Amino acid sequence: MIHRKDRRDRTDRLGAPVRAENYIASSPPGWQGQLGGCGIASLISLKGERIGGERITRMLTIMEERENGLGAGYACYGLFPDRSDQYCLQFFFDDEEGKRNVEDFLQGRLDIMHDEVVFIKERSTISPPYPIVWRYFVDVPENRVWRGDRDLGEEDYLVEIVQHINANVPNAFCVSSGKDMAVFKGNGYSYEIADLYDLDRYSGTMWLSHSRFPTNSPAWWAGAHPLSLLDWGVCHNGEITSYGVNRKLVEMNGYRCTVLTDTEVVTYLWDLLVRRNRLPIEVAAFVMAPSTYQEICLLPPAERRLAEWLRITYKEAFLNGPFSIIVGRSRPETTLIALADRKKLRPMIAGLSPDDGVAYCASEESAIRIVEPDARTWAPGAGNPFIAVAGKGVLRRGTEPSFQGVRV
Amino acid sequence: MIDAPSSRRLDHRLPERFMPTINYDLCRVCRRCVNECSYQALEFKESRVVPSGGCVACGRCIAVCPANCIEVRPVPPQFAPHGNWSERSRRSILAQASSGGVLLSSCGADDTHPPIFDDLLLDAAQVTNPSIDPLREPVETITYLGRRPGRLEVCDGKVIVQEDDTPLIRMDMPLMFGHISLGSISYNAQKALFMAANELRIVAGSGEGGLHPDFYQYADRICSEVASGRFGIKPEYLKGVAAVEIKIGQGAKPGHGGHLPGEKVTTMISETRMIPRGTDALSPYPHHDIYSIEDLAQLVSVLKESTEYRLPVGVKIAAVHNVGAIASGLVRAGADFLTVDGFKGGTGAAPRVIRDHAGLPVEVAIAAVDRRLTQEGLRNRVTVCAGGGVRSSADMIKALALGADVVMVSTSAMIAMGCRVCQQCHRGLCSWGIATQRDDLTSRLDPQVAAARIVRLYRAWNEELKEVMGAMGIDSVESLVGNRDRLRYRGPNPKIAEVMNVKHIGEGWG
Repeated sequence: MIHRKDRRDRTDRLGAPVRAENYIASSPPGWQGQLGGCGIASLISLKGERIGGERITRMLTIMEERENGLGAGYACYGLFPDRSDQYCLQFFFDDEEGKRNVEDFLQGRLDIMHDEVVFIKERSTISPPYPIVWRYFVDVPENRVWRGDRDLGEEDYLVEIVQHINANVPNAFCVSSGKDMAVFKGNGYSYEIADLYDLDRYSGTMWLSHSRFPTNSPAWWAGAHPLSLLDWGVCHNGEITSYGVNRKLVEMNGYRCTVLTDTEVVTYLWDLLVRRNRLPIEVAAFVMAPSTYQEICLLPPAERRLAEWLRITYKEAFLNGPFSIIVGRSRPETTLIALADRKKLRPMIAGLSPDDGVAYCASEESAIRIVEPDARTWAPGAGNPFIAVAGKGVLRRGTEPSFQGVRV
Repeated sequence: MIDAPSSRRLDHRLPERFMPTINYDLCRVCRRCVNECSYQALEFKESRVVPSGGCVACGRCIAVCPANCIEVRPVPPQFAPHGNWSERSRRSILAQASSGGVLLSSCGADDTHPPIFDDLLLDAAQVTNPSIDPLREPVETITYLGRRPGRLEVCDGKVIVQEDDTPLIRMDMPLMFGHISLGSISYNAQKALFMAANELRIVAGSGEGGLHPDFYQYADRICSEVASGRFGIKPEYLKGVAAVEIKIGQGAKPGHGGHLPGEKVTTMISETRMIPRGTDALSPYPHHDIYSIEDLAQLVSVLKESTEYRLPVGVKIAAVHNVGAIASGLVRAGADFLTVDGFKGGTGAAPRVIRDHAGLPVEVAIAAVDRRLTQEGLRNRVTVCAGGGVRSSADMIKALALGADVVMVSTSAMIAMGCRVCQQCHRGLCSWGIATQRDDLTSRLDPQVAAARIVRLYRAWNEELKEVMGAMGIDSVESLVGNRDRLRYRGPNPKIAEVMNVKHIGEGWG
């Protein structure tokens, strides 16, 4: 039971006042990014079965010490089996004008096959105004041109469209743009956001979730996690001390930073390394959280050479500082990746249901036990990725040697 | 004739700037100071040592005095005070009116432009990220110098490493010794630098004076310089070394050439430079085969061809106002690494007017180059080296955070060997045996001892670098390079901060 509170009285769990300003699609004036601690939780059905939103909500909300009501979010994969080949662009609009702006912009650039409002249960505990949340199922037209470029691949074209909207189209923000997935996030406690979107009505083969404890406000709905581009969804707990360096790399490769958080850059890095540069996931994870040169010296010669060249070539992609991240994608297969920094300064625990049907990753063991009391759990190593694929199983527990299973 | 001798001619002798002062109660009259003073500023007269004028404050007498009884005191201002006509400006005018020449000086610009380094403050980690103790946990400083591929190709899920195409040099710290030629410094001084670079596992510049056969043993730690004079360039100079660098300019004298006077061209120098003994070694102002960027591209190609693509080939430029665009041109011309030399960089001899007034502070130059190369998508292809006025590990760290992959140092290495920055290098009388070719002076420098001092200095800097990175929550130096978010500006002119893309103190990011 949540008590109704006057807006001015809104406080966090420990009684600190929470500012009433509330920004949705448009960023707060003077926005320079946000930092703080977080809770993350995820699950994936290894058998490819659909799991309801109620389960991920319980996982996330149990970690109540990890949030202070300034943002939470969920991403669901395998969400639209009937429209799985269309990109789902899900938007926050400040108002009807934002919606018109986006629809005007999309006119002739994308083929809108279907659009619908995203259900929102308006609640008094979340400060109004409430966003208009809308989704468009789109196809990318054959004859596409972006700034004179006729040869842009479908996905690169969509990246340009989405990034252009987020940087330039007023009163609108595209929160997710992948196939067969969508992001549900906003400004509030994890249970409030789950309730707001009525997550129980959705089910999917994989869920990511995130609750935050930022050290600053105001809150910005679009800046909450998961951050998403194409089908990438990233939930991140940590503070990347190399942000300025990582940002340079993604900007050099044409990404435009609009959210100004390290998580945004991490999202673009996954897209750059895995989708565009086609690095295997284990290799991309090594790039982001590499072994020390001292450890590299001990690898067999071929692996050693690969490791050195990865560090040299992608040194701007090295995520320094404490982090644990959960990353999802729906293409080519629904995949869950979990990764902690190379010193493992932020928590990450993995678990498997007794029947090997569902895999979990979360900041705390409690998040796993609340939904799967008999789960087998283990801690993935520092800088060592956990990888699970729907329909295939856990491909990597996060305890194996760096390049196990990678052709070198 | 205006310059005719005259009975009324006055010498216009300038007042002394420094006065060696001897405590006669302690002096043992050993006369070591008199013998050691290469500027003949002390003499033995009437059973005691007395100053004889011309002291430059090189500090040699202080260091050798067994009784510790010498002080070198700056002479108080001897000119009537004037707010505009400083003593410095009046001295320059008087000297120039007497000599009619271009005033020469050495070491870096000693003018009053305050270093921007001093206006930058470093960040540290608190609460939201943990700091790291480098004595307990690894903090890495290994740095590679050379061209990087930008991305690795993947074929059938296999990552392709084409190692042979991209030669790189591995260094234990993000530091290199600048180019100081044999000729501008002594054999022993250069030997000490090479020994130290070898021990530190970093790279040392050869300077433009060729490479003495004795130093081939350090070749894999030496970056050979190809300057406009093309001195000493022969197969051994290019093939066994770590890297080759084309010198376009030098921070202390952008747009200027070089001039090693004939009296310094001894047998050894003449053999190493491959020029006749006793002739002036003149480096033209530009390379006379490089009058534009495409000419530079050709020389880069020639050097790559002649070294069979086994070595990184770099280009060094002085930091000038359009440095960003020039740097971009260098990368497009094929340079594997760039060196940007700021206007406070050292020199063995330069016209004072250029040394003190031309160029760009290295802090701004680094930020400009880093930003421009990033904008053009080239930054992850090259290594950017930068130096010129880096005095401490703090300057080094700030230069890294502004965007240099490798920081170039020279003057601090000279100081470690004994140099006191008296700025008389151009006179060839260095009492420490560094910037001189006189046998009696060069023999004062023991390369072994000097190298050990250099090694200790930079090992300490590297430890300090690790400490600062650890405090920032960064455990490897590549995550510091270009991380301007971790700097704040606290100086008098916020426009400088804006140009460098560094936030002002008091500005957070959340």
